[in-house]
Amino acid sequence: MSLTNVLFGFFFVVFSYWMVIARTRRQVLALTLAGVLAVTLVTPPTSQAQGTLVTAIQSVLNVINGVVKKALDSINSVRNAISDFYKQTTWPVALINQAKAMVTKMIGQYRSVMQNIFSINLKSATLPNPTRLENAMRNHQTSDFASLTSSFGNTYGSLPNTTAASPNDRTMMDMDDALAVDNLKTLKMSDAAGDLILQAADNMENAASQAAPGSAPFLTATAVVASIQSQALTQKMLAAELRQEAARLAHENALLKRGSVMTGDVNTQILNLLKRK
Amino acid sequence: MKNAIHSVMRGMKWACGHKVRTIVLLVVFTLLAPNPIRSQFVDPCCAILATGLTTISNTLSSVIGGGLNSILSIEKDISKFEQTVVWPQNLINQARSLVGSVQGTFNQIQGIMRIPVNSATLPGTQQFEQNLLSRDPNQIAQTSAQYTAVYGAVPNATAASPQVRDMADMTDAAAQAAMKRAIEIDALADLELQAADQINQSIQTAAPGSAPIIEAQADAWLVRANAYTQSATADLMRVRAIDLANASANVKNGAANAAAVQQQIYNLLKRQ
Repeated sequence: MSLTNVLFGFFFVVFSYWMVIARTRRQVLALTLAGVLAVTLVTPPTSQAQGTLVTAIQSVLNVINGVVKKALDSINSVRNAISDFYKQTTWPVALINQAKAMVTKMIGQYRSVMQNIFSINLKSATLPNPTRLENAMRNHQTSDFASLTSSFGNTYGSLPNTTAASPNDRTMMDMDDALAVDNLKTLKMSDAAGDLILQAADNMENAASQAAPGSAPFLTATAVVASIQSQALTQKMLAAELRQEAARLAHENALLKRGSVMTGDVNTQILNLLKRK
Repeated sequence: MKNAIHSVMRGMKWACGHKVRTIVLLVVFTLLAPNPIRSQFVDPCCAILATGLTTISNTLSSVIGGGLNSILSIEKDISKFEQTVVWPQNLINQARSLVGSVQGTFNQIQGIMRIPVNSATLPGTQQFEQNLLSRDPNQIAQTSAQYTAVYGAVPNATAASPQVRDMADMTDAAAQAAMKRAIEIDALADLELQAADQINQSIQTAAPGSAPIIEAQADAWLVRANAYTQSATADLMRVRAIDLANASANVKNGAANAAAVQQQIYNLLKRQ
């Protein structure tokens, strides 16, 4: 405001000075026009009516009470709906607790019954050697392979020495015995692995009984991984069975080949004998 | 004082003498003189503005502030629900630790499955057994030669009938294929166990939102593993089918041989 006053004072002095010293009418007219121009330029525009300000405030209030309030109410109702949807449809606490309770109930209902069935004694051998072999075969231990091998030898006999059997027979017997013992060892290993897998399944089921919807994906993922591992072990057992079945087939085939050759030899000898007569 | 009065008198005289100029000066200065500021207390425009702003402020507080507060309380409620019911951190950590424990169990199983089971005693059979248990697909190339060394070759054309030679060859082929498949399946199972380890490790560092992705991958691996199991089962069935076929062929050959012997005896009796 003070700057305006200074400017006005300056204009007052200069304009008055020029008006006083003007000599001709033309100069006075020029100064008058300059004054009119100054007045035109400086005069502020006509102020708006107070009614326009009230209208502006009212329109802001209308926006707040209308569009903004409506938007906030909508957001509020959507969030409320989402919250209700979560609590009543997606993750209802009652159903989550019900699911956990069901897991716990089924653990109580089935686990010990199944464990009891699975631990029924299946051994049936009566003589000392087969009993020892059966014990070694079914004890789920992997640290007594030597005992298994010796029990097998005692029950099924050991490999005849070189004077007691032909090299072909000895080779085939050794291979048959080896694959049989290999598989018995593999079965002991898979029995031990089966026990551990059952233990892992129990742990996963226990964890499921305390899980939340957000922690369950970890359990399902690890259960699937455990299934892959279990499947891999099944494959190893199948591979062992394949070897065993193939060896049995190969054994029978070897006997067929040998029989066929021997028959040919016998035929030739008989023909030779008849020829001599 | 005298000078001042004198100056005013002179000015008045000048104004009387120059009426037009005086009027111009008066009009211009009157119009250009700065207006005094209006008082905020008296000016009705400011009062209206103040009332309007107060109303706007009150409306903002009640409508927007109230609405935002409601949203905030719902958001807090949802957040609490998610943190305590849906994704509780302690249960997530507990699940991760279970994954680690399952991993430990399977490491133990893998240790068990690596115990050597070799049992052959003769040099030839030891070599063949080593090949069969090698879990190394590169050794499949040596399987056939080692098989023949243990079980013998197909008899040559002078030593056996064509039927017997066909049967022996087919049986050897099925047995060898099964043994080769067993090596393959062992190697595949090792790779599956290795992949399962990797997947389990990534589950331990996953988030609840990323675990289903890993689970999907694990599912895919399981499907693949099932396919390999089916393939092994198929080979087992082939071996058993060949075994059955051999049993049948033996009966057929026996019948043919019996008929031939009968014919020869008949011929012999005729000659006498």
